[in-house]
Amino acid sequence: MSEPVIRMEKIIKTYYEGKPNELEILHGIDLTVNQGEFVSIVGESGSGKSTLMNIIGVLDRQTAGSYFLEGQDVGGMSDEVRSAIRNRRIGFVFQNFNLLPRANALKNVMVPLMYGETKVKDQKERAMEMLAMVGMEERAGHRPNELSGGQKQRVAIARAMINDPAIILADEPTGALDSKTGHMVMDLFHRLHEEQGKTIVLITHSQELASETQRIVTLLDGEIVADKGGAR
Amino acid sequence: MFLENIKEAITSIFSNKMRSLLTMLGIIIGISSVIIITTIGGSIQSTLTATLNSMGGNTVSAYVEARYPETDEEWDTWVYPDMTDEDYVTQEMIDGLIEAYPDEISGIAAQSNLGYGQIKDETDADNYANVSVAGITPEYLDYMKVEMYAGRNLTKTDNETQKKVCVIADTMAERYFDGRDPIGEKVSVVLSDGSIHDFVVVGVYKYNQALFGQVDTSIPEKDRSTMMIIPLQTCFKLQGTDQTGYDSFNLLLTPLADVEQATADITSYFDKIYADNENFHIYAYNMQSDLGMINTVLNVITVAVSGIAAISLIVGGVGVMNIMLVSITERTREIGVRMALGAKRRTIRQQFVIEAIVLCLIGGTIGILIGVGIGALLGTVAGFIIQNMYAEYANYIIMEVHPSGSAIMLSLFFSMLTGVFFGYYPANKAAKMEVIDALRYE
Ligand SMILES: Nc1ncnc2c1ncn2[C@@H]1O[C@H](COP(=O)(O)OP(=O)(O)O)[C@@H](O)[C@H]1O
Ligand SMILES: [Mg+2]
Repeated sequence: MSEPVIRMEKIIKTYYEGKPNELEILHGIDLTVNQGEFVSIVGESGSGKSTLMNIIGVLDRQTAGSYFLEGQDVGGMSDEVRSAIRNRRIGFVFQNFNLLPRANALKNVMVPLMYGETKVKDQKERAMEMLAMVGMEERAGHRPNELSGGQKQRVAIARAMINDPAIILADEPTGALDSKTGHMVMDLFHRLHEEQGKTIVLITHSQELASETQRIVTLLDGEIVADKGGAR
Repeated sequence: MFLENIKEAITSIFSNKMRSLLTMLGIIIGISSVIIITTIGGSIQSTLTATLNSMGGNTVSAYVEARYPETDEEWDTWVYPDMTDEDYVTQEMIDGLIEAYPDEISGIAAQSNLGYGQIKDETDADNYANVSVAGITPEYLDYMKVEMYAGRNLTKTDNETQKKVCVIADTMAERYFDGRDPIGEKVSVVLSDGSIHDFVVVGVYKYNQALFGQVDTSIPEKDRSTMMIIPLQTCFKLQGTDQTGYDSFNLLLTPLADVEQATADITSYFDKIYADNENFHIYAYNMQSDLGMINTVLNVITVAVSGIAAISLIVGGVGVMNIMLVSITERTREIGVRMALGAKRRTIRQQFVIEAIVLCLIGGTIGILIGVGIGALLGTVAGFIIQNMYAEYANYIIMEVHPSGSAIMLSLFFSMLTGVFFGYYPANKAAKMEVIDALRYE
């Protein structure tokens, strides 16, 4: 078996470290996600899902423990290198979309290319391909405020995919959508997983959506209390 | 990336037009005031310079001046002394001067009026011409760029040998001689004092309003007076005085001569000659020093306005810094998103510095446009004022109104510098944000 995409060992996250109100949120998480898995992380609000996700996404640093992304120890890396890793290896999908308000759909999809180290040729064509994949090519010239929630999330997914990342991280991507559009977005993730073999980690509130995935990890008060269906 | 940054900066600036405009106000005022003042100053300077040059370039004026008493007691009893023959500047002195400074001085321009008179045709009583007769040094005619229509100009020999020759106006020649060739013809001039003098016509000059004044069209053409030019020494002789020297004259300089140096040389040359003269000495001056004074005044004004501009640029820059800080706080989330998508700290810093520079450059450009517009307008007005102040030279005055290129370049440079200087702090603040905090910012 090749190196897992994510390998976490005894990850601890503490806020206000060394202060009187010190708060340990994650209490030693061990998590391994292999290439091509579609994992959902469920748990009550405040259980630490987002905190965990931010560490996985190299947005935040763990207080203790080690985290290997594609075999590389991310913990000790410089900000510069971490930026490059986020750019090349991780595709983010946020609950509140986080599109740039003044840029149209096409420009939004192209942002990761702009920050890329290597010059990608035919940037526009590639971005249009991504928009076509999520069925948004006709809205390429529209700004976020001219798009519905579901459409915004599809643009965000196109953006997450443009650098062909090792992993897609989605933190409650359907949280701001009605259940019908939520299902449509979910179907898109399934397609990316099945057709392109993408590794996806999805945080969700919805037991129903989680049950569609191969593996369900349950968090409770900063600890993994259940891990069903994993490791084929 | 760089281009992308500029595009984004423009989009961001234009998405908040009013705020951006107000922010740029300090820069606009600072830059436009500098451009206005340099445009006006430059226009005045170049108008004066071009005008002086069109009047024959460099000259030094000189005249015989009484030695004024030095004490108050002496003043009480002092009377302006009468000039005697020894007090005048002679042609020999001038020749000696030219010999001493051949690289600087090329000739003398002096003039004396003989008076008004009438040329009478003895064969036809109805045919006459009114003239004003003036004695002029031959160099003066060249210097004034009097163009010959026919025949020749007056020569040094004409002058030295006090020949009774003349040069007449083309308008007069055509009418009086009625198509005949006037060269070689003898004309008799009856002066207003009744004396009669004969001259041989050697040349016909082209009438030029700038040199000889407006034609008075209220008088019938036949009665109009034109200038008849004779050698200066001939004029002195006819005036019946013993005067052969000059009391007031202009020295013509060679094209490469330095006016100030020439003035100093002329002064010291005549100081030596007049050292023993108790009553008189020669005072030499040049218009260049007037110009120099005007330039000094303009430079002082320019420096003062530049100081004001610098202050408004600083105030404007602080405004830019303030608005950039506001903008960065407003866009914290956006910065977080960009960082999440792979933007490095220095990329974020670059983006906001560029935005500040673009903001300042747009302000600077607006300032330049306003400055050039108002400056050109005021420069033109200043030109007209000069033209009216020196109405007699109106036709010589060459108005040149153009903005100073170096002032524009400098303005753009300082606008940019303001952007870099005052944009760096906010941009750096943006760059130092932690991605997770920026992303979670509400
Ligand atoms: N930056 C932070 N500073 C302090 N406490 C935080 C911070 N981020 C999250 N927390 C706390 O960590 C806990 C887990 O939050 P989070 O991971 O967002 O939960 P979930 O996503 O599962 O709802 C919460 O109690 C929250 O208050
Ligand atoms: Mg959460």
